[in-house]
Amino acid sequence: MGGPDVRPVVILADDDEAITSNLAPFLDRAGFTVHVAADGNAALELVERLDPDGCVLDVLMPGPDGREVLRRLRRGGRWLPVVLLTQVGESAERAIALDEGADDYLNKPFDPYELLARLRAVLRRARPGRRPLSASPTLRAGDLRMDRISRRAWLRDAELVLTPKAMLLLDYLLTHPDELMTRERLLEVLWGFDFPVGTRAVDNRIAELRRALGDDPARPEWIATVPGQGYRFVARVDDAR
Amino acid sequence: MTRPARGVVLAVLAPLLAGAVLGVILQAADPRIRLYLAASPSLVAIAAGLLGTAAVAIVVLARRRAMSAAAVAAAAASAAAIRQVAEEAARDRLRFFMRLDHELKNPLTAIRAGLANIEQGGGMALASAGTVAALASVSVQADRIARLVSDLRKLADLETQQIEMAPVDVTGLLDEVAEAVAEIPAARERIIRVTVPRAPWPLPPVEGDRDLLFIAVQNLVANAVKFSAPGDTVEVRASEDSDELLLEVADTGAGIPADEIGQVWQELARGRAARSLPGTGIGLALVRVIVVRHGGQVAIRSRDGQGTVVGIRLPVPDRARIAPDVATLRQGRDTPGMAAV
Repeated sequence: MGGPDVRPVVILADDDEAITSNLAPFLDRAGFTVHVAADGNAALELVERLDPDGCVLDVLMPGPDGREVLRRLRRGGRWLPVVLLTQVGESAERAIALDEGADDYLNKPFDPYELLARLRAVLRRARPGRRPLSASPTLRAGDLRMDRISRRAWLRDAELVLTPKAMLLLDYLLTHPDELMTRERLLEVLWGFDFPVGTRAVDNRIAELRRALGDDPARPEWIATVPGQGYRFVARVDDAR
Repeated sequence: MTRPARGVVLAVLAPLLAGAVLGVILQAADPRIRLYLAASPSLVAIAAGLLGTAAVAIVVLARRRAMSAAAVAAAAASAAAIRQVAEEAARDRLRFFMRLDHELKNPLTAIRAGLANIEQGGGMALASAGTVAALASVSVQADRIARLVSDLRKLADLETQQIEMAPVDVTGLLDEVAEAVAEIPAARERIIRVTVPRAPWPLPPVEGDRDLLFIAVQNLVANAVKFSAPGDTVEVRASEDSDELLLEVADTGAGIPADEIGQVWQELARGRAARSLPGTGIGLALVRVIVVRHGGQVAIRSRDGQGTVVGIRLPVPDRARIAPDVATLRQGRDTPGMAAV
């Protein structure tokens, strides 16, 4: 992205006109130049023609669906930030969304302000011309190393023993460093939906991660508590190789 | 037909008829409820009736000494067929929830985006007080539908998703539930007691997903607080019962009228007393699904005006149980008074 007065160009791909006709002006007023695509082919064509700063893709679309569009973009070496609009909350679906190199995802029906926040975050994190962390198979943060394909992690030479949910949480934190993660957001990452109560479930998993990492919450090297709000992964993250 | 034979036929058919009648009643229920439940609960009720019929049939048949091997085989075959019907009905219900969820998601997303548009466009500053109020109301109602959809989705998800099984320390879990419930403002005006046995040995761990079990118990305690008044008592009790762990949440609250208690475990069931209170009527259905997925059982007893007790039974894995002979030895060694230390 250029200076402050340059409006980021974003593709919004969804086949439901009721959604695009409402979301496009919303994003436009929020400072984006929005181009709407009604199906997967149109989205691919717009990316090719406009070289946009980011992309919002609905998963269910005629032609190549959101997931297929994302795969084709990544295969073609296009690393622009992509937010997937997913339909189901199942954990498999979420894991796939991130495995395929989406920078983030939102479950419908989402709060439009949440989309705005996600979009701004992925654009800020974007590394022009470079593969995003979320599309990297291996990540490194200091002495911590993670193989995202096999879902294994090591601290120095010792492999971390974590529950599947804690591993999922670590993966999400590593691919979204330096970003304020509310407990609600992390709960959604873990469970695919928000529970009316029980954000403690998040605190418990964070505690598990901190124990495994030997992190002191008072002087965090990895996971910082943002009082009253949530957590932030504070270590610098990079591709392992 | 001889008199006893007629009795047997009646006993066998009664649950089926009851199920069918319940199905018809559900089908004819309030159209608002029907909109969400469609035909599925009636199918479930009929299937439950069929299952009941099978159970009674098997018991009746088993009692008849002269029962032939062929009859046993036939009973088993029909029980299997009936189980299949029940499973199919459950799958139908799940598919229906998923379709409903799917069909409502896009319109809801569009409504929310539309409202955000109006708000962001500065239209609100120019609008009359009436328009502002109307838009605020639309926004609240859209959120309410979204909550309902996501709650139903949650249930459907929980019925199918893999459950992470690990030993769960129930004592710690209950302590945490008590802490979480204490944060509900109304809880300060209730007397909340948590009773967990520590002697002669602590509760054995159960196998399960700690987060889900937390949500189940938390829901029950929050319900007890919600349906009671200042000064009422809420008790959370845990005990070990041979190969099971029993958790009870009891309150001296409003209780549930006799004509409503049969429906409390169903999705979207909301009693008359709950109409004025916030909620989607998903809490107890969620508890039921979580407990059943953990191989347990739920039960509810209530007296209108006196209070309610909900019980959860969870299996204790063999290896976590203390063998009775070890227990005997330990009791023999303990001197009176020592157990309290």
